[in-house]
Amino acid sequence: MTEAAGPPLRVTSLAKRYRLAAGGDFEAVSGVTFDVQVGECFGLLGPNGAGKSTIIQCICGFYPPSAGHVLIGGTDVRAHPKRARQILGVCNQEDTLDSDFKVRDQLIRHATYFRIDLRTAKERADRLLERFGLADKADQQIESLSGGLRRRLQVARALISEPRVAVLDEPTTGLDPDARRVLWEVLSDARRNGTAILLSTHYMDEAERLCDRIAILHKGRILDIESPQALIKTHIARAEIEEEVRPGVIWKRPPNLEDVYLKLTGSRLGVEGL
Amino acid sequence: MRLPDSLWGISRVWLRYYDVFTKSIVFYAVTTFVQPVLYLLAFGVGVGSLVGTLSVGGMPVTYRAFIFSGVISQTVLFSGFFEGAFGGFVRMYYQRIFQAIAITPITLSEVLWGELLWDTTKATVAAEAVALIGVLTGDFAPLSLLTVLPVCFLSSLLFSGMGLASAAFARDIDQISYPQYLLVFPMFLFCGVFYPIEKMPAALQVLAWLLPLTSVNSLVRTLTLGLPFQVWAVPILLAWLALLVTLSRRAMFRRLVK
Repeated sequence: MTEAAGPPLRVTSLAKRYRLAAGGDFEAVSGVTFDVQVGECFGLLGPNGAGKSTIIQCICGFYPPSAGHVLIGGTDVRAHPKRARQILGVCNQEDTLDSDFKVRDQLIRHATYFRIDLRTAKERADRLLERFGLADKADQQIESLSGGLRRRLQVARALISEPRVAVLDEPTTGLDPDARRVLWEVLSDARRNGTAILLSTHYMDEAERLCDRIAILHKGRILDIESPQALIKTHIARAEIEEEVRPGVIWKRPPNLEDVYLKLTGSRLGVEGL
Repeated sequence: MRLPDSLWGISRVWLRYYDVFTKSIVFYAVTTFVQPVLYLLAFGVGVGSLVGTLSVGGMPVTYRAFIFSGVISQTVLFSGFFEGAFGGFVRMYYQRIFQAIAITPITLSEVLWGELLWDTTKATVAAEAVALIGVLTGDFAPLSLLTVLPVCFLSSLLFSGMGLASAAFARDIDQISYPQYLLVFPMFLFCGVFYPIEKMPAALQVLAWLLPLTSVNSLVRTLTLGLPFQVWAVPILLAWLALLVTLSRRAMFRRLVK
């Protein structure tokens, strides 16, 4: 591989139109441009249907973009999917675990798709199982795992190739607070080793805590890209938010990312003066 | 795309299927081999004792040998189609294996080739096992194990393609019944597995020749029993092969890649 030019992940003017069965096109994503730098965690925030998963499918090279480019380590993923995806780890939103293989075998099997030798694969699998609290489940069938454990395993699988770019589509959905903490720690470690992380999530506290920068996505377009603090500063004028959380109970708190999200994506009614 | 890389990808996918297969070898052995053996016993030995000897294309053939060679084609049809259709649907829709592998350095194209070639391998091995039984009972010459192999392989690929195309078009798993009842069972009954199609009315014979299993039967019987070579069987088989393999891959791409 030649020397990687530019950031680990670069998305330029990405657009994706779907042909509708009823006729006509639906523009799911339009003009999406962002970079993810070495060791950076970049968040994609947006309501359901905003285009997050479409962007991620385009980044994987699974869906062809209608316009624009995705470069992974400087390599165009459509032109050279094998080379580009050699350094990409993906955790899809839906469960794609291979139920014909047990927990540990699952990870080892996935590693072989990246030409990782068996010994290294086994070492990494054991380390990840330990890390994700799955070591005692190593020889269990996938079917016997709860939803949260399956989710953990799928995130672990995305990291088995020690990717330079990790794309995680709602990795913590269905995880209990404990497992979420574990995942956050693992992601911190990966970042220290230089992994660039693209994270889509519905948890605002998670995005605020983990992401260096966040893109707020609405109806297929990026409304703003900033650090969480800068987003709050730019979009929320007030220093304190008052909110009636229950009849007669009013909370006063500093503004947070959720306020920005709700303001920009305009999906909440009745909150004034943000 | 560099060829060696693609072959590596395809072989990885094939190996995944192989490893699953060997983990439950007893289950697969029973489900793959019991059915042809039942047909061999019921029709070859049972009905065969009633019918005795047939005249096919001017040559005398025992009904048992006729059925044994027919069961080779039937095995290719059933094994290829059902693995491609039901196995393929489960892997694509429920397990989402295609989607999981096709975002690694292995591409969707390679995943689909791996799927087709695995289904083909399984059907070919099952058909060769039937041929081996025929050799052991003295109905086929030992050399026919080898000569019939290319026909078994190509026709297995053909019916695997038919199965995988069915999986790609089926909205849910029940819809696979359409090709199963409208294509697979008619071929099974009317394309010369159980009786020479020359015994049917001419119009039905034409219809039978349009379906791929008749050509498979013809070629298999030429190679196992030495019946006259019907040269048009080759282009018919190859045309169906090209059509179904292309269709299965296109339909799968259309279904998965938006």
